[in-house]
Amino acid sequence: MEEVPIIEMKGIVKIYPDGTKALKGVDFSVKKGEIHGLLGENGAGKTTLMKILSGMLPPTEGKIYVNGREVRFKSPADALANGIGMVHQHFTLVEVFDALHNIILGMEGHGLFSKIDVDKARAKLQKLMDELNFQVPLEVPVETLPVGVQQRIEILKVLYRNVDVLILDEPTAVLTPIEVKELFDVLRKLKEQGKTIIFISHKLREVMEITDRVTVLRKGEVIGTVNTNEATPQLLARMMVGRDVVLRIQKPPKEPGEPILRVENLWVKGDRGEDAVKGLSFEVRAGEIFGIAGVEGNGQTELIEAITGLRKIEKGRVILNGKDITGRPPKELYNLGVAHIPEDRTHMGLILDMTVAENSILGLHWNAKFTGALNSIKWNTVKAYAQELIEKFEIVAPGVDAPVKSLSGGNQQKLIVAREVSKNPELIVASQPTRGVDVASTEYIRNYLVKLRNENKAVLLVSADLDEVLQLSDRMAIMYEGQFVGIVKPEEVTEEQIGLMMGGIKDES
Amino acid sequence: MIDMIISILLGSLTAMVPIVLTSTGAVVSERAGVVNIGYEGILLMSALFGAMFAEMSGSPWIGLLGGAFVGMLLGMLHGAITVYMKGDHIIPGIGINILALGVVAFGITAIWGTAGQHQVPSNIRIQPIINTPYGGLSPMVLITFVIVFLTHWVLFRTPLGLRIRAVGENPEAADALGVNVERYRFLATVYGATLAGLGGAYLSVDWLGVVTKEISSGRGFIALANMVFSGWNPIRALIGGFIFGFFDNLSVWVRTNPAISQVVPWQFVATLPYIVTIIIVAGIIGKVRPPKWDGRPYKRE
Repeated sequence: MEEVPIIEMKGIVKIYPDGTKALKGVDFSVKKGEIHGLLGENGAGKTTLMKILSGMLPPTEGKIYVNGREVRFKSPADALANGIGMVHQHFTLVEVFDALHNIILGMEGHGLFSKIDVDKARAKLQKLMDELNFQVPLEVPVETLPVGVQQRIEILKVLYRNVDVLILDEPTAVLTPIEVKELFDVLRKLKEQGKTIIFISHKLREVMEITDRVTVLRKGEVIGTVNTNEATPQLLARMMVGRDVVLRIQKPPKEPGEPILRVENLWVKGDRGEDAVKGLSFEVRAGEIFGIAGVEGNGQTELIEAITGLRKIEKGRVILNGKDITGRPPKELYNLGVAHIPEDRTHMGLILDMTVAENSILGLHWNAKFTGALNSIKWNTVKAYAQELIEKFEIVAPGVDAPVKSLSGGNQQKLIVAREVSKNPELIVASQPTRGVDVASTEYIRNYLVKLRNENKAVLLVSADLDEVLQLSDRMAIMYEGQFVGIVKPEEVTEEQIGLMMGGIKDES
Repeated sequence: MIDMIISILLGSLTAMVPIVLTSTGAVVSERAGVVNIGYEGILLMSALFGAMFAEMSGSPWIGLLGGAFVGMLLGMLHGAITVYMKGDHIIPGIGINILALGVVAFGITAIWGTAGQHQVPSNIRIQPIINTPYGGLSPMVLITFVIVFLTHWVLFRTPLGLRIRAVGENPEAADALGVNVERYRFLATVYGATLAGLGGAYLSVDWLGVVTKEISSGRGFIALANMVFSGWNPIRALIGGFIFGFFDNLSVWVRTNPAISQVVPWQFVATLPYIVTIIIVAGIIGKVRPPKWDGRPYKRE
């Protein structure tokens, strides 16, 4: 007689309002008392699935059962009431409150107007912490505490509500190795107490270490569920990465020339002050596409921002054509021939409410070509220029006076590419150049990057889309926790090896 | 000398009431994340309607309650727009302020048939509980103290206050724990406007005993400045309101003291309370941190 799973999700489909199909009919079940890993690349749908389970998002289709009983969650509070709590990757803590008040918020005791019984709450929390064998300071503002401690407060917050199922979304992403070890100790304690844990991760080693079973998701579909003790990292990597190539790119062989960009021992800090890039050195040569693959959040963003002058460099040097450009401002880098296709087009690449013409000269607006008397902008020249870009790059736009937000994502991205490569740069830094872009535009942009390479430009490509990096790069690096696990030629590695490297494991065989 | 001090102290307490009530209301509203710059208009309209209710009923207390009621309605309007319809927080406030200009000018003529000004009969004004030769003390001063301390206690000691502060700091966190963000934001907004309404009626049926087109004379905005000065804290708002009241009175005293008014023009002295408030606020602003989601609508993703 099979035991009724504590959680069962059947045929879960999620289509976002913008039409993105994040989950395509997922079946997922978790046994009581296990640590269940949910493994997959970015965009595989792990977080979306768990947000549905925790009541943050409604599913488009599908059913959820808790202990065999069908449930429907309208809010996270509903899920909590059914014993399911989630700790998000980005913490939801009231920064100015102390831990105690963050934890008791929403279930403070009797009566809205009665005095909060702080002593009682403290005693209950102390008991919880003693059972789990860790301590957090309960009475200092949480914003002053390190992230590892904040994460424990999030865990306590959920446990205080007597949940049976604890979901952790990439809990180790923000932790130091010691903190990871401590977290795992806590998770094992919780398992001893009979709690069920769902552990979302893309890190193979951690999944192998802590989980009992693993479900692998890829592009919104379940690839399979395996018992961890029967799995190998190689198997999981293959399941996670798969092998489906959508687009074909024509790329003639080419001998790269002189190094254009040289990065030496680069150290960069992330937003939280942690070391995001740890002593990277590499070079990108003329007529070469150098790709950086890896799961997002491993320092790629910080690396790109440091090279393009948007983020402070702690240590090391960036050299362009033999000239030290470390810490130079973006405008100077532009003059020296650096073009940047930023990873987030709506926030960094374009001003959505401004017109196509206005956006087409962002960063060039001071150029003598476009300015007349008293530095006024010659709009007729600008509009003619924008029209030229539209024609040359096959951008579908209602006109040069249309606001950029009226363009499709793909055409917005093409406008950025058009603007940046028209600066006639020596180095093109392209970050997630085809994210959220339709197939036709994706193909156009990819082919254009190859064309630039054929014209002897240096291209630095960062993408979370592994296929993209594999297809375009002449050489590629896999980035993990601020360092390169390896630099390889795409045609010389197997997908399995790359999957392992993305999970932080270098396969020496 | 001593009579002058007593007189200025009593006057300061009298003058602080509308500022302190409005600031305290604004503190609660903004702690929950809702900005309302319409307090000036609320003060004006509830001064008008407060006097009207008092004269209709023959009771100044009904007048005060009526003023608070008008404030409550305007607060519900503001709350509906900002909290439930996720609208901008500034525009409705501007609307209320402009609306008040017309409503009050027209209302005085329509209700009492006089232009620009109406004297409230002294028998339907709130009577002082303490009378001294140097001036009286209104029961509203005591009520104001009670309201401030109660509000402070609720805000920092009770579950209600915790939730109000949570939805103004991080509504996402509150939402995830089942706290109804919209409900607490709306309640706080209405509470803030209601206190301003009480303060407005106080102007006409208690302190000044008159309704004019400019009876609020910027107190709604001063109250907002005072709220910032207080660091969104009711008790500190009480102190700030007292400082404003003190300089307000000092300026009146200086103006009526021939020995000084011959040397310093009274127009200059009349600007003192505003200048002092600005200096204090400018000295403090930037050092205090507003609630993180202040003025931002919250929509679940």
